[in-house]
Amino acid sequence: MRRLKLILVLGGALALLASVGVAWATTGATTGYPQPKVVVPSQTQAPFENRYVLTAVGSGAGIRSGEMKFEFEEGSSPQFLVGISQFYTYSPTGEIETALFTFYPPKELPNGKGLGFTALKVGASAQYGQVTPDGELQLFTPEGDKVKGQLRLRGGGPWPVEFKVLGEDERYTASPPAARQIHEAQPNNPGWGGEASEYEGEYELTNGAEDPTAKAGTLGAVIGVAQGLGVRGAVVSSGSMTVEGNPAVATVELETGGTNRTFTLTDLAWQGDQRVAQVHNEGPDSPPVGRFEGTGGQGEVKGDLISGHSVYKVAFKLKG
Amino acid sequence: MKSKFRSLASLLVLAAVGALVVAGCGGGSSSAGGGDFVSGAEAACGSANKQIAALGTPQQEQVTRYLEKTEAVIVKLHQEVAALDGSGAAETAYTAGLAKAIPVLTAMTNAARSENFDAVRELSSGLVEIHLGELAEEAKLKTCAEVPVSES
Repeated sequence: MRRLKLILVLGGALALLASVGVAWATTGATTGYPQPKVVVPSQTQAPFENRYVLTAVGSGAGIRSGEMKFEFEEGSSPQFLVGISQFYTYSPTGEIETALFTFYPPKELPNGKGLGFTALKVGASAQYGQVTPDGELQLFTPEGDKVKGQLRLRGGGPWPVEFKVLGEDERYTASPPAARQIHEAQPNNPGWGGEASEYEGEYELTNGAEDPTAKAGTLGAVIGVAQGLGVRGAVVSSGSMTVEGNPAVATVELETGGTNRTFTLTDLAWQGDQRVAQVHNEGPDSPPVGRFEGTGGQGEVKGDLISGHSVYKVAFKLKG
Repeated sequence: MKSKFRSLASLLVLAAVGALVVAGCGGGSSSAGGGDFVSGAEAACGSANKQIAALGTPQQEQVTRYLEKTEAVIVKLHQEVAALDGSGAAETAYTAGLAKAIPVLTAMTNAARSENFDAVRELSSGLVEIHLGELAEEAKLKTCAEVPVSES
């Protein structure tokens, strides 16, 4: 029975897919979605029956752009909406990938705020793919041709989203324009704590790994270079940090793969346990090359030090 | 009689010297040509280390070129060391370690060409696992055990 439902949902998803973009037929018929257990009045759903383009999205979602369509399931009684979206997402390597989702079943959000849908991810290979619950899309009551909402995917979020209703003949010949990235509120209290004495001083690295180049002979240098690369966290074998001055500046010394690197952190800021800073490669007056984003308090600071394409996962403790 | 005795004594001295020479050739190495292997490999490693050190520490955009050059240096080093035909267990293990490093370096270079730097880093663990420096030490290759120090 579950398999039958899955096939029906997938069939409906594919039918909807055929109606979203210009590359697909515009028949738009959707069939096969089972009647939802919870009924939402059709007048509550009707304002959402539209085609949309994504205009803004929380930066953490990793979505570049996207299109979406909601329409009533054909022949359904009582009527219910089914949605389909095509999002262009950033892969870990920075390439653009396509992610397809259907949104079903609809449910009413509390206080008449709008509608919520379970986000079902459609597999990469449509006819052999599978639909799996992957999050939730909430759409708030439309304001003119704009609809705001929030999205949860892959266990992350919620991220704010904003869509614009597309006109009847409005179509994109290629991928839709890049959506504005909404950045989360950043800490803005200066320093890394309420009092300078809380965070100024000499720190030691507490998450150092064994030097991978130590027993590598002629290969040591290339290992050292490679271990300092990537966005998932370079291997740091030793390091230290000094925080001093007003405004406070942090000097970070790291050894990665046998290579010593020095970074200067400026614009130190905090909010709650959040700790952020700008990262420079060549002193505080050089152009910033990345950011430090982490957490801290009670003499400890840990997080990701981002320099260009490299991310160093560090944890420091204030020396006693 | 005196001259016969002298001839016999000379023969004995020659035989002793010959035995010493043969013993000397095998001393300290498991192969007959071990001395040649060590000196030849050390010279090749010295040159390789110098070339790698001269590459410096690359910026992100220079990593592909750096890996291409390093790969070429290691390929040449392997050819030179393999040509020395070391027959001892340690010498064979060191030569095999170099051979094992080449496909890993090729994969890293290809990953860098695709700008997949996470893959470059992850693949480099394959080089770490070879422990080439330790293999060099076991083969009495002091220079080969050294990590090239970047000139910049």
